[in-house]
Amino acid sequence: MAQPRARIGSRRNGRIGSRKNARRIPKGVIHVQASFNNTIVTVTDIRGRVVSWSSAGTCGFRGTRRGTPFAAQTAAGNAIRTVVDQGMQRAEVMIKGPGLGRDAALRAIRRSGILLSFVRDITPMPHNGCRPPKKRRV
Amino acid sequence: MAASTLGGFISSLFPSLTSKSQAKPSPPSLPIPPPQPPVSSDSPYLTLSASSSSSSSSWRSSYSKASVKEEDLMMFPAGRDVMSVVCPAMAHSNTLFFKSAYNVQVVVGEDEPEEALLRRFRREVMRAGVIQECKRRRFFENKQEEKKRKTREAAKRNKRRSRRPFNKALMMEKEESAKKASEVEDDDNWDLPEEGLLPN
Repeated sequence: MAQPRARIGSRRNGRIGSRKNARRIPKGVIHVQASFNNTIVTVTDIRGRVVSWSSAGTCGFRGTRRGTPFAAQTAAGNAIRTVVDQGMQRAEVMIKGPGLGRDAALRAIRRSGILLSFVRDITPMPHNGCRPPKKRRV
Repeated sequence: MAASTLGGFISSLFPSLTSKSQAKPSPPSLPIPPPQPPVSSDSPYLTLSASSSSSSSSWRSSYSKASVKEEDLMMFPAGRDVMSVVCPAMAHSNTLFFKSAYNVQVVVGEDEPEEALLRRFRREVMRAGVIQECKRRRFFENKQEEKKRKTREAAKRNKRRSRRPFNKALMMEKEESAKKASEVEDDDNWDLPEEGLLPN
């Protein structure tokens, strides 16, 4: 009775973004996930809702070349190009993971002309939690 | 109607956030965290414990803001109270983006050359030891490996610490104080007294 009504209401609140194509966000967050094999750059708004993303893999690099800093640079450039057209001026950068793409992506972001407020490293650190996989014997 | 004024209010608060965060000094003490839903209420304390150990370097750095995310929350004291009156459901919506616990934070100044920013960021990360820690935790290390690693690190640390005071005067002082201590001991009379004086 009350439940269907409430569900529709919440959907309207949450999914409005997909209706308007050009969401004007002046300030956003750029997440860079730099692993050893790949770099993924995601641009979201302050609340974390994704606006656009790009990765080294989607930029045409495959295999070992995805993990290179140059690939990270192109991925970051790609991701930011779409967002700058939407009018984003300020951004925070959140970098996660070890990897060669960290510095290269940051450099590309800086060069793209977006004002940066913070650069944060949010690599997740367990407080001695799960047991990692066994050593490789290569 | 309430929603539009709410949006306007929050957007008007943002410029104050960005302008104030540069000027305000970082408070070391935690302000009272706002009443958040129970899932995220652990996050303020978690961030302090997580970031205090690994980002203690960021406390010392002169540039980086060195405050936990709660510093941003202190910008909104008036806003929060008004919001909780005006629209209780959305009162704490602006706290949603303060969830991340970071290891290192570098505040970017205006007109900072990109090389300087990169260098600063890399230095902060190295001090926090993020990448080292990541590599260590990739694969499991048994007790042997762990012991080896710890001895290696301790040796490195000791070597660095013992190499520091290469001031000759300091070394001379240390030697002299050592000599004096031994002389004082010699003044003590440990020999037994003569036979006649000993009580029976």
